[in-house]
Amino acid sequence: MNANVDADMKANSIDEILKRRRIIITCGTGGVGKTTVSAALAMRAAQLGKRAAVITIDPARRLATSLGLTELSETPVDLTRNLREAMPSHKIDGTFSALMPNAKANFDDFVKELSASKTIAEQIARNPLFQIFTKEFSGTNEYMALERLQALDLTGQFDCIILDTPPSRNALAFLNAPKLVAELFEERLIRWLVLPANRLLSAGMRKALGILEKLTGAGFMTNLLDFASTLFSVRVQFLANFEKTTRLLQSEAVGFIMVTTPTPEAAPDVHHFVRTLQEHRFHFEGLTINRTIGYLFKSTSKPNQATSPGLPVLEGIRKREEQAMRALSSGNIRICAMLPELARDIHSVEDLLYVANAFETHHAQ
Amino acid sequence: MTKKPKPTSKIAAIPLLSEVLTRPVIFVSGKGGVGKSVVTQAIALALSRKGRRTLWVELEDPLKPRGQLSKIAPKLWRLNCDAEMSFEEYALLKIGDSPLARMFIDNKLMRYLAKAAPGIHELVLLGKIWHESSRYESVVVDMPSTGHGLALFQSTKNYATLFRGGPIHEDAEEMILTFADSGKTGHVIVALPEEMPLRESLDLDQFLMEIFPKNRATFVVNRTFPKTGVPANIPADPTNWPSPLAENPLDYLNRRVLLEEHNLRIWRDQELSFAEFGYVSPAEAHTSAAIAEVLSEQLVTGGHL
Repeated sequence: MNANVDADMKANSIDEILKRRRIIITCGTGGVGKTTVSAALAMRAAQLGKRAAVITIDPARRLATSLGLTELSETPVDLTRNLREAMPSHKIDGTFSALMPNAKANFDDFVKELSASKTIAEQIARNPLFQIFTKEFSGTNEYMALERLQALDLTGQFDCIILDTPPSRNALAFLNAPKLVAELFEERLIRWLVLPANRLLSAGMRKALGILEKLTGAGFMTNLLDFASTLFSVRVQFLANFEKTTRLLQSEAVGFIMVTTPTPEAAPDVHHFVRTLQEHRFHFEGLTINRTIGYLFKSTSKPNQATSPGLPVLEGIRKREEQAMRALSSGNIRICAMLPELARDIHSVEDLLYVANAFETHHAQ
Repeated sequence: MTKKPKPTSKIAAIPLLSEVLTRPVIFVSGKGGVGKSVVTQAIALALSRKGRRTLWVELEDPLKPRGQLSKIAPKLWRLNCDAEMSFEEYALLKIGDSPLARMFIDNKLMRYLAKAAPGIHELVLLGKIWHESSRYESVVVDMPSTGHGLALFQSTKNYATLFRGGPIHEDAEEMILTFADSGKTGHVIVALPEEMPLRESLDLDQFLMEIFPKNRATFVVNRTFPKTGVPANIPADPTNWPSPLAENPLDYLNRRVLLEEHNLRIWRDQELSFAEFGYVSPAEAHTSAAIAEVLSEQLVTGGHL
């Protein structure tokens, strides 16, 4: 066990990680540039000769905008040509594709797929709880992302898949999501609701349901029972899927990268995340620190004596970045890449390429 | 402001931040990483210093004790709103405290419903905010930064299809009237002067308009760099720069000024009004409380309060 942890802690460059793992999952809180990093990782993999794909479950369509894609797509869209046009001087042996599945359509489809009968599929389409559930239940987006990943992996079309996890308040949401969804399928809970015999047995439950009905009106109870019985009917298949997913995530094929901004406040979150990954027995590959400005101060271009009222702000950000580097790398957490803050918004494949190339040139340590 | 008769005059104009801050309930929304929480804190702090009894609401912050209410400054309270606890409170209010009611609340299924059931969970959180608003002069709510923030309001759209009749239906109806009323509730969207966050804030605005067509949100653009003159040799349109990288600190600052100008000009051209918060240098303030302090001063010096 200890030997494993030591091996895990050995610093790797992004290129080495891409060579070692078939699937990379990028995690991080909202706003750190996870989507950009994910796309750039897939590009880097294509440069290394991989057949690479990036999946992003992304209602905000961020990846689409930066890649020049116009809409969500359920199947991989081959963008290799865009990549070749953006860097005519480079030879690209691999391929580069992107997928942006619509999370709503997916959870419906997923439950329909699990359910054997047409009646159940119709129940799903009719029930307002399902409509809301797919949009709002914390965990469905994350869970569906994993389902997508597994399905794509099984096609064998790609030898490198980058999964950009859905935006969330904290990176752990992604790790806990499958459990939350699984809890919903928990037998005891649903059984109470759907099996009349059990309801008769539990007088307390009957009373509780009576009170709930008084509060919510009769329509809600009907929909809730309908919802629960649908979930119950697909429970066994769901749990089997869940187990398969967990096994995949624990396998040698999958590595996790955490993306963060260079702020010291991010450190506790990062440390907690890495610990949780190890508890799950997932493979942590390293930290990618995005939007760093340190490179500006190391530049070899002629030092300019001019000043600007923005300089104290930038100096402050630089100092915070240095503190962040110390705080983030403490406790043996390795940093696998540092990416530069760009001076403009990412518009194109060309801009993303600057990020992808930085995996090479800005490699820390 | 005079109203221009336009074919699209059904859409309410964007109100000024100064006006929105006078409303009893203020929801602060925004995507992750834009500084929404610290802006919320700054607004609450500034309002309390103006002498208003103020509640600053966070929704289910996992790092703080569930449901904790604490007084943090004169006239300023902070609440970490929790759905499960609010559900309990609501149920007891509606059905009265009795052993039966306790049994109902302690039921595992009921707990699960309050925690995670689509529709219920969100309504309960909003209901708590609505309930608390009668006890304070200002309630400022830090909305979740993910899709769940939208889900919170989405639940107000769904309630009628979910709950037909019953007290929840009635209460939800009244609550939504409050949040839709521009005299009672304000919506603030926080963005950064970068393309993607600005675009996302417009998406948020669109979404809020669908739910509250007569109560338009106002915008705050956070972390703008000081505006300076820029050498003429850098093209004004950032898409014309040969590289997205800057060469040195000064070059970065020049380009940053142009970038912000470029992005915000598009907004001004569309007559999207917004308030700006200047970037607080981490050298000046590095805890969220310290940044909120500086921003609350900016609210006053900027004439927003």
